[in-house]
Amino acid sequence: MQTTTSGTTSSKRLISALVFVVLGVAVVGAVGFTLHSLSADPQKPLYATKSSETIVVDGKTYPKASATLGVYPDKATAAEDGYKINKKDYVQYGPSTHLVLPAHTYVTVTIHAYDGGEQLNNPYFGKVVGTVGGTINIDGVDVSNVASDNVQHTFTLHGIPSTSQDPLFVNVPLPQVKEGDKGFLPTQDPGTHFKGHTVTFSFITGGAGDYVWNCEYPCGDGSYAKFGAAMSTYGYMSGKVTVK
Amino acid sequence: MTTLHNTSTHSRPIPNPAKSLITKLNMGTGTVVGILFALGAYYALRPAADAANFYNQQNKALLAGMFAWSIGFLVGIGAFIGPFRWLIGKDLTAEEQLYLAGDGQGIKRYFKYCTDHKVVGIQYLVGVMAMLGVGGTMAMMIRTSLAIPGGHFVGATIYNSLVGLHGITMIIAMIIVATGPFGNYIMPIMIGARDMAFPRLNALSWWVLFTAIPVLCSAWFLGGIPTGWTAYAPLSVQAGPGMNAFIATIIIFAFSTAVAGMNITATVVAMRAKGMKWNRVPIFVIGATMSVALAIPAFPTFMLAMVQTATDRVFNTGFYDANVGGSGWLYAHLFWIMGHPEVYVILLPGVAILMEIAPVFVRKPLFSFNAAVMGFAGIAGLSVLVWAHHMYISGWTPTLNGPFMVTTEMISVPTGLLFLVLLGTIWRGKPWMKLPMLALFAVIWNLLIGGITGIYLSDVPADNYLHGSMYVTAHFHYTLMGAALTGAVAGLAYWFPKMTGRMLNERAGYISFWFTQIGFQILFLGMFIAGAEGQPRRVVSFAAMYKYQNMISTGGAYLVGTGFIILLWAVIHSWRKGDIAPQNPWGAKTLEWTVPYPVPLENFDELPVITSDPYGYGKGN
Amino acid sequence: MSNHDEPDLKPTPGARATALLKRPDVARTAVFTIIWTAIFVVLGLVFYPKWMPTIMSTDMKAMERIMVAFTVISAPIAGLVMGIATQAVTNRHKGDTPPPDGPAIRTNGPVVVVWSLVSGIFALVAVVWGIAELNTMANAATTDAKEAIHVQVIGSQWVWSFKYVDQGVESDKLILPIDRPVEFDVTSEDVNHSFWPVQLGVKVDANKLQTTTVHTVPNKLGAIDVKCAELCGLYHAYMETSGEVVTEDNFKNWVTANGGHNA
Repeated sequence: MQTTTSGTTSSKRLISALVFVVLGVAVVGAVGFTLHSLSADPQKPLYATKSSETIVVDGKTYPKASATLGVYPDKATAAEDGYKINKKDYVQYGPSTHLVLPAHTYVTVTIHAYDGGEQLNNPYFGKVVGTVGGTINIDGVDVSNVASDNVQHTFTLHGIPSTSQDPLFVNVPLPQVKEGDKGFLPTQDPGTHFKGHTVTFSFITGGAGDYVWNCEYPCGDGSYAKFGAAMSTYGYMSGKVTVK
Repeated sequence: MTTLHNTSTHSRPIPNPAKSLITKLNMGTGTVVGILFALGAYYALRPAADAANFYNQQNKALLAGMFAWSIGFLVGIGAFIGPFRWLIGKDLTAEEQLYLAGDGQGIKRYFKYCTDHKVVGIQYLVGVMAMLGVGGTMAMMIRTSLAIPGGHFVGATIYNSLVGLHGITMIIAMIIVATGPFGNYIMPIMIGARDMAFPRLNALSWWVLFTAIPVLCSAWFLGGIPTGWTAYAPLSVQAGPGMNAFIATIIIFAFSTAVAGMNITATVVAMRAKGMKWNRVPIFVIGATMSVALAIPAFPTFMLAMVQTATDRVFNTGFYDANVGGSGWLYAHLFWIMGHPEVYVILLPGVAILMEIAPVFVRKPLFSFNAAVMGFAGIAGLSVLVWAHHMYISGWTPTLNGPFMVTTEMISVPTGLLFLVLLGTIWRGKPWMKLPMLALFAVIWNLLIGGITGIYLSDVPADNYLHGSMYVTAHFHYTLMGAALTGAVAGLAYWFPKMTGRMLNERAGYISFWFTQIGFQILFLGMFIAGAEGQPRRVVSFAAMYKYQNMISTGGAYLVGTGFIILLWAVIHSWRKGDIAPQNPWGAKTLEWTVPYPVPLENFDELPVITSDPYGYGKGN
Repeated sequence: MSNHDEPDLKPTPGARATALLKRPDVARTAVFTIIWTAIFVVLGLVFYPKWMPTIMSTDMKAMERIMVAFTVISAPIAGLVMGIATQAVTNRHKGDTPPPDGPAIRTNGPVVVVWSLVSGIFALVAVVWGIAELNTMANAATTDAKEAIHVQVIGSQWVWSFKYVDQGVESDKLILPIDRPVEFDVTSEDVNHSFWPVQLGVKVDANKLQTTTVHTVPNKLGAIDVKCAELCGLYHAYMETSGEVVTEDNFKNWVTANGGHNA
């Protein structure tokens, strides 16, 4: 086939092609970098405070660590507690939804829970699972279960079972803040004017691993099964747990 | 062979109906009017932050804004001037019509409501390449994210959106990848027509599709979509505002395909050259027509499914909400009644292109034209009866498994005929190893793997295990990407000289081919293994046991990505500076090679008369 | 495929076949076909047994059997396709001018018919095989139903939970006794999920307000991965849990330890 060769020489063509490929890779890389940045945690991770104490559970000695979280019905309440973190006016955990916990440690988590509630979708999540002793402490009382119509939110920690990371499953129901409740009377927090429950529980972390947690109480009001909005938007009622 | 390069075409005086509004409208005015319409609709309906049913109201406002954009754009580009004139009892003047055809207006006509099928073809080609670029970039993001377990690259929200938007962008791009550029540019010339049957509808189908692109992109700025491209309800009802973008895109796109499908079908039925009996029609035209004809019944069901999703989200109609008597299965049925014909809508033109190419490059007649037609017709016919094989594990009554298994397995018979036609054509020939022919061999391999794995998946007991796993993802990428997209690339290399007047850079084409095809095999081999081992689809993170398989897949994906960047360079470079192409570089016998480049406005000076089919190659023919 | 324009002088089909095989291109195609067939057979025999997870139920065994058998059955067809393609590649033409004209074979009736029949028979084998396996599974499910343990599987966004109805136990882990039929009654509290105990080779969707069932009999001790196979929103990827097939005694102990009663 006869063709007329147009102006460009082959070396020029090669350079043009190479530059184009590099540019193309750079564009894709830039998109990746942008998405990676957008995926960053909305808040700084919350590192558990390690203590020098140790504790013996089932004959094994573990170092101790602790972390404190709050659950707020809306942005304003969170802000009153000093957390101005999230854009949307959703129910939310604070100060961060990304917890970083030390490995092979007895971790005690305290949650100040300030929200009301209605009814769990799945009553199973009223049951305490995976804590030391199978109980949680609500305002000073140890319980192993919260009735499914008395739950405000849950802290449900889980991960992908895998040979390279230890299993970790914790389910903690948080009772509703409801005046006149016989079981758990809301207590006034020092320093704030709102009432809530203080829920404390401990669990033992395994080796390093990536886990997630989410709330199993349907609190994404106005969406199907109440599991959209706050429930399905990262950084409100769901987050990550990194054990390292 | 002739090396004629005819640049001097009929120098018609450029029509200039200076006073007419149509001379002032283009993509820019369309965009401005579209944005005004969109903002108007959105702000008129936008709810207060504390409104009751806030999400319903927000969905309503967003959907209204998106549809208003689409309509506004079409108003602004002048799509409705013709119909409006009819309403008041007039029509466009002859001069205006000639102006709309865009002859002699240079590059400007590509940004206008232009009725020339060749302009529309180029618009589709550029649009498709842009969409494949966006979809491919998202694929790179997905694979980068899966390179190591743990989901450290992008978060779950962005990952889920990537999966869904990669899916729908690619599906839309693949539906139009062959019938858009080649169906519009080449096909009317191939059948000896002066234009499409309805040139204004042709322009409409492109510009309607064009308005869907920014709508789909807006999903990214509205929080993404969590549903994947299947958009299963009730997850889609639960999803955030980004879902509205998905719904609006599908409804707009379904409208565009309906218009394009009817137009192409009407053109092929009514506008063939004198003497072009059905058994003399080029096989690409047959395949492409079957494909768009199949799309005509398929897409309205998707549109309906999406309208119902929209009303569920806006008015709580509960079509898919079991709490009020609806059912997610209703959605699944509607979706797959579109969804399975749709994969054949994608596949048929790709294979038809190869059948068009094979005789030219082995210099033999097409082997058994009748078998090819039966193959296409058989697939098109059966494909509307197989949809529910996507629902084997939905938990429905087991009585339904048998019939759908039968129809699905039976599709392997017409598919086998397509293989037979390709193999019979290359049998005893000396294949001329140009890029299109190379692609044919790649497609034989890819479609074979895609087809055989499809046989496993269509068997219920095997599907019980494999459904929803990476194995399925690998399977359909072999058919849609390995076969249909490779076929379309073959078409691009084959018709590039006719569409641009220049040859596609051969060396870059080969390099790109080997990068993409080798990368492709590595990419999906890793995925087949991970799937057989039990890795689910659409997961941002996975157990460490799938680590190496995924790492291999990601490596393969980078090769594919590099290959396509090289191909893009080859296209851009060759389009601007490539070797000038002779009128018929491959020595083919179909009609499009009898016209010069640039193809004159109405294609032929004198309409051809057809006396035989275009496959008269070979000794003794 | 025979040659169309060769005069048909050979009297018997056998002699014709011999003459055909003597043609160099046919011989080469035959060799390539045999090589490719062998490759596909080996692939089928090695790939699935190597990569599929531990087989812990008859359903999983049936599934593996199908994958291996279908690959082996389809190997000659795939081998022929690749054989013809490979022989064409070895016969390729390079350069900037088109190759010389090939023979003008327009069609070959017997080849089209035989090809269609063979692919039809293959499809039929696949269908019959699949239906037979399904039937076996259905029969097994019916006979097993009486002694089966019933596990109610509940999918909530993004955690599985299991309710052992007869034993009065609830758990986030799937613990099953060996060799005892099990009926999974699967439902969802919200969007669609898909219950997938990987090593048991069964799967069924979880739908709101609807109970879908699937049966199996675990027949091997060991760990099970339970996954969700239907995209269900934000943490779909993390909707996984572990399980185990244990001995009958260990199962009873587990039930007791979790506050249940052994029926």
